[in-house]
Amino acid sequence: MERRKFLKIGSAGIAGALVAGSGLITWSKRAHAATINKTFYITDGTLVQPDGVGVYFRGFSDAANGLNVPGAALIVQQGDTVNITVVNTLSTTHSFVIDGVVDSGPIAGGTQAVVSFSAETPGTYAYYDSQNPPYNRLLGLHGGLAVMPSGSTNTLYAGSPTFVKQYFWVFNDIDPVWHNALAGGANPTTPFFPRYFTINGLSSRPPGAPGNGDPSVDANADPRSLLVGSIGDRSLVRMINMSLCTHSMHVHANHMEWLTLNGAIRSDIWKKDILPLYGNMGRVDAIYPFEAPPDAYPPVTTGNYPMHLHDEMTQTAGGGLYLFGTMTEIHFV
Amino acid sequence: MSSGGMCGGVANACYVYPGAPATPGIVTPDISFSRGIYMDGSITMDDGKVITIWGFTDLAVNNGMARPFPSPTIRVTEGQIVHTSLAVPGDMWVHTIHHHGIEPAWQNDGVGHISWDVQGTYIYQWRPQHAGTYFYHCHTNTVLHAEMGMYGALIVDPVPDPNDPPGTKRVFAGGPAYDVEAVWACDEIASSWHTLCWDAGTCGGDAGLNRLEADYFIITGVDGAKSALTDPRVAVNMSLGQTLLVRYIAAGYYPQRITFGGLTATVVASDGRPLPNPVSMTSIHAVAAERYDCIFTPTATGVYDVTVEFLDWVTGNTLGTARTRITVS
Repeated sequence: MERRKFLKIGSAGIAGALVAGSGLITWSKRAHAATINKTFYITDGTLVQPDGVGVYFRGFSDAANGLNVPGAALIVQQGDTVNITVVNTLSTTHSFVIDGVVDSGPIAGGTQAVVSFSAETPGTYAYYDSQNPPYNRLLGLHGGLAVMPSGSTNTLYAGSPTFVKQYFWVFNDIDPVWHNALAGGANPTTPFFPRYFTINGLSSRPPGAPGNGDPSVDANADPRSLLVGSIGDRSLVRMINMSLCTHSMHVHANHMEWLTLNGAIRSDIWKKDILPLYGNMGRVDAIYPFEAPPDAYPPVTTGNYPMHLHDEMTQTAGGGLYLFGTMTEIHFV
Repeated sequence: MSSGGMCGGVANACYVYPGAPATPGIVTPDISFSRGIYMDGSITMDDGKVITIWGFTDLAVNNGMARPFPSPTIRVTEGQIVHTSLAVPGDMWVHTIHHHGIEPAWQNDGVGHISWDVQGTYIYQWRPQHAGTYFYHCHTNTVLHAEMGMYGALIVDPVPDPNDPPGTKRVFAGGPAYDVEAVWACDEIASSWHTLCWDAGTCGGDAGLNRLEADYFIITGVDGAKSALTDPRVAVNMSLGQTLLVRYIAAGYYPQRITFGGLTATVVASDGRPLPNPVSMTSIHAVAAERYDCIFTPTATGVYDVTVEFLDWVTGNTLGTARTRITVS
């Protein structure tokens, strides 16, 4: 499957980060808990990377004939009952796991399973396939889940600083040697040397490059990733690093308020322009405050800026192509 | 000296955005810096290997003839209107200055693909609002240019407190005072990259820029194998009773762990912002481009060897170490 086709499917996952798109899993204040149902199809296919190389992936997809990498972001509310139906359309064994919350156990090829859990602790979670670790996760079988505090639309946890928008940044790095070995049914035998670097499944396309500005191709334009706000539009970003590599996340124009590390609420909120994203599902929650860039003279309230990883190898594709890696933009409008 | 980095012209590069327009809203600055480019510098490692270094010159000193590594420090005071002029002659291709952690208008942020890669002369105008430790680096083909050495310290001092004795130095307004200061920019070098062209990989092809095979480890431009233990640009000599400020900059790409040789740091700020509550740490794990402001008030004389471990981004294994020293007499 070509990336463009996959992305048209993927873009239905979460639009503008305000409301998840399925109609079943929404972010809206509710007085009472609800029952949330969602079906994922475990599928596979080929996604074309920025240098034109096709690489094999698997994903938790919204349709049996699609391929979503990452899977759709889910937003539920504390107290909700969540029923996830996982249809394994492949011949290999997979699973659906949220650490500390739910584990489907092995789901054999051609079968399906229903996992049910009660959303208890507000926060940001990774869902992923724990079979044949870490390979199935790295192949794309992963996504993010948010549990909103009961009755809240604007907090991460009870008493947290507030926000008006929320986003997921799901990071993954791709070693095509590993992916293609796994496509053939073999586990990799070489060290992990990633050649492609993604945020929410996409890499950046700079001005002048094919696909620049196309939200289905360019991570800079992907509404799941691109932060857009006016002064005061405080935006929560839920970051999950699916890769094996530890990363350094860098924002321009504002420091972020660092709320959590790996699911733990930090005792003090530090203001940082760099945040650590540890390998193997390191998580960070932080708020981009959309304050006027403090050091501008004359003062400004609008402008475009980047977010990129600062371990700069991540800014490449195929060993070159600087500006075709893990980057998105921040638009002050 | 070797002259890596020459190779082809701008017309043969891809995804660079040459330009040097007038600075919007330009005014007379309170302080200004004049930076040029060198691409024929070098560092001699403790084992005798000579590695090509690129960086920024100070055009206000001897017409920029020196090739300092790291690039010359930019030091300003909170609230000053600053001009950083970057002059890039035609034979130095294109570069930018991104004042990392400083948050100016987009035209002055030095990100090539959002504004322009400087060809000619551009004046970055900014006014820092937060005292602290920053750094500046080139943001053109950054993966290569920052690795080649195109960075320097950027320090914003607080406005002096009129109630302090003259000459008092503080990390930030109302923050701790210090007597002795060190800047430790800790970086790994992958010497195999240091023969590449300035535009390596920009048009595609495998230049190996996804694999940083680090083989040397430095602190503030000095080999951490041995030299940084004693080099006065890095090693600290202080007296008992004095307060030391170490401005620790993780200037490389891989994660790092700095261990203070038995001393305990009081970390008072990070990334140019005071911490709500200082934190006591005997070591710090940092990722690329983080900064930590560390206060030391040793309670005994002694020699304290500081170790910086550079960690594989996948395994966390130590790839190499750099060491320096705090001597308290």
